[in-house]
Amino acid sequence: MPSPVARDKGRKRLPLEGIRILDFTVVWAGPYATQLLAEWGAEIIRVESTKFFPSTTRGMIARTTKQMVEASGLGGGFPDRDPGARPWNRGALFNAHGRNKLSMTVDLTQPDGQEVLEELVRISDGLIENNAVATMDRVGVSWERLSKVNPGLVMVRMPAFGLSGPYKSYRTFGSHMESVVGHYSVFGYPGEDPSSSGTSLAADPAAGVGGALAFAAGLRQRRRTGKGLQIELSTAENFSTHLGEYVMDYTMNGRLHEYVGDRDSVAAPQGVYRCAGDDRWIAVTVGTEEEWSSFCEVMGRPDLPGDQRFATVEDRHANHDLLDEAITAWTRDRDPVETMNVLQAAGVRAGAVMNEQDAFADPQLADRAYWEELSHPEAGMHLHPGVVWRAERTPNRLERAAPRLGEDNEYVYRELLGFSDNRYARFEELGHIGMDYDESIP
Amino acid sequence: MSIPLPLSGVRVLDLTWYTAGPFATRLLADYGADVVKIERPVVGDPARDIPPFYGNEPGVERSGLFLYLNTNKRSVTLDLKVPAGREVLKVLAAKADVVVENFNPRVLPALGLDYETLSALNPKLVMTSISNFGQTGPYRDWKGTDITFYGMGGAMINTGHPEREPLNLAGHVPSFHIGSVAAAATSIALVGAETSGEGDHIDVSAFEAWMGAIDRRMAFLMSHQYTGDVSSRAWPASALGSGVFGCLDGYFMITAGAAMFPRLAQMVGAGDLLAQPEWATVPERSKPERIDEFAVTLIPWLLERTKAEIRDACQEYGVLGGPVNTFEDVLGDRHLNERGFFPEIDHPTTGMIKYPGYSFRLHTEEGLPPRYRAPLLGEHTMEVLRDELGISEPEIADVGGAEVSR
Repeated sequence: MPSPVARDKGRKRLPLEGIRILDFTVVWAGPYATQLLAEWGAEIIRVESTKFFPSTTRGMIARTTKQMVEASGLGGGFPDRDPGARPWNRGALFNAHGRNKLSMTVDLTQPDGQEVLEELVRISDGLIENNAVATMDRVGVSWERLSKVNPGLVMVRMPAFGLSGPYKSYRTFGSHMESVVGHYSVFGYPGEDPSSSGTSLAADPAAGVGGALAFAAGLRQRRRTGKGLQIELSTAENFSTHLGEYVMDYTMNGRLHEYVGDRDSVAAPQGVYRCAGDDRWIAVTVGTEEEWSSFCEVMGRPDLPGDQRFATVEDRHANHDLLDEAITAWTRDRDPVETMNVLQAAGVRAGAVMNEQDAFADPQLADRAYWEELSHPEAGMHLHPGVVWRAERTPNRLERAAPRLGEDNEYVYRELLGFSDNRYARFEELGHIGMDYDESIP
Repeated sequence: MSIPLPLSGVRVLDLTWYTAGPFATRLLADYGADVVKIERPVVGDPARDIPPFYGNEPGVERSGLFLYLNTNKRSVTLDLKVPAGREVLKVLAAKADVVVENFNPRVLPALGLDYETLSALNPKLVMTSISNFGQTGPYRDWKGTDITFYGMGGAMINTGHPEREPLNLAGHVPSFHIGSVAAAATSIALVGAETSGEGDHIDVSAFEAWMGAIDRRMAFLMSHQYTGDVSSRAWPASALGSGVFGCLDGYFMITAGAAMFPRLAQMVGAGDLLAQPEWATVPERSKPERIDEFAVTLIPWLLERTKAEIRDACQEYGVLGGPVNTFEDVLGDRHLNERGFFPEIDHPTTGMIKYPGYSFRLHTEEGLPPRYRAPLLGEHTMEVLRDELGISEPEIADVGGAEVSR
């Protein structure tokens, strides 16, 4: 039995083919790390359980009903607004990042589940997780233990605040980590307090990418030294590295910043301007004097470049509110995508603030064959966001839609672990192996 | 120098500037790669002119953004506009394992330094090209900035207040993300090249890096496929017990919602609510009127407590939340300091100051070595071109490598 996500023979080998990783990740940050590794050929085995439902991973709750979806007024992210018989297999939250991964189930709270954990670790190259530290302690996932089972293991742990220190056991989402490392003190509307800023979730993709980099680095370290290693990525610290200039301004100059909204510290004007229609906007940055002239010409305002109030970039900063009014007077009756095209043709940095319809209709993404159609046995045939980066000499497409819970139990238990029919049947009876959550789970 | 690091022995020729590209090569340098940064003679990387500046005075060695992005690298000045400069670059590329560049996609082919040419000299070469929209397609030559990357590719339509314009992420956060994608792409390609002996040309599009980011965007794109729904700026305060709230010494962010509500109710001493039918089940707690009903209990409780006290209570009760910290709070944070997250680095302009630390840590015997400050413009030109490549000093002067300050 070949791997359910095996690549076609004759296709050029992907860089991580032959690397097997046990995936204990939840929510977004960890699953994004394993998504990126899966895209480049790693065999990612999600280790899940029919006895435990990690909220915000395969949905918010396991058994979302059609009534709950209707009451929310939104589709809830389910195909045709219907959670179906197994909502955990049909949610957009999980199916967005689950592609190319395998799913197996085992109950790690049972002693024979713990035996399976060791058997899995023995045949794997890596393990990635992003749980609360106590959660991993409870199921026996630790470097001290697993490195004895497999000294070549590359283990990447991505807890919120790291494996040590006073906040070690603090539970958070990415937005709270951003808040702790300072992002919400600089992300906001001028003159408003942080309760108006809404939500940034940029720490999650940042940690996911950092985790993929950490794993690749660990793999190379293992090649060089012949030994595995544990790598620790605190998702809070990792996001702090994306705020470097604010840390430096404080340590160099003692300066704290106020909210600048959509403005830039150097270029002016910069902003997000209202366009025709409901919730339609365009982002514009004028970077140089040449761009300023072009922008005014396209707007039909040849008077502006000669206006003393807007003569230099300092003047434009000083009179930014006035400029914003002039720009909005032009954009408010225009289509954002069309305006983006007109401005870019004139050499002005402009981008429509794209909603989902804009994204799926975008000609650049179409030209690069970005969207990929995949068929999911319980969710149907849909377009998916494509591979995150390209390799010119290694064409790469998505292989399979997100795995249903326990979809690959046969492959993992029989093919990889060599389970006999008897042992497989016993594991089914004990509830390790299954495709439905235990009835006790709401 | 002999501490084994993941990328020890990897030589990176760095043709990047501004933020995204230099962050990619900084990450490679952090984990052991020897990064040779090529800068334009006299002016150098334009990031040297981007604030914040030490003492608020501009200067080629004074930008905090540049100092932060270029630790552990060597700087060589080289003029790619003269043919001899391009020949030197080919010699460097022939000896490199990795080239990272973020020119407009037309530039390197026009200079005769495209991947075809360089890989013919060095078949194992991994070259990573970072661009606004990718190396192909109708937008190939379009311009971009942080706000257009996040606006077009990212979840900006979902970011900010529902009754206001969409809000950009702060500073250069959009570019940092693109840089870290390029570093991951490069490292994975390098592992592949070392397995197969064949290099590759990696195409990182800023637009696609954000379109495929899990910052809500992927889930909402998938959801649109499933339902046709078009998303907007959801309001965090529209979920039970969730949002950013005032407290005794600032603001505190909490995320509860109907499902996780019981822990929050216990935390604020309102656990007895859970016995009442209106608060006992998820569907009951999901009713919109519950938000204001509970705020009457939640808000006074928060206003009587400090960020630190609320944080400790959240930890005790398993409530998801975090203080809204300023950078003063961040630098003084007891957890980050106890973990030694902010190393001090010496530099001729600034003296010893604290920097953000490593993105991730190695649990090896040796760990990671201290980082070395960003290079002065052209600091390593002679070391690399004369001492390592054997190029004569007059020839180095001809390709812009003479030590000229502006």
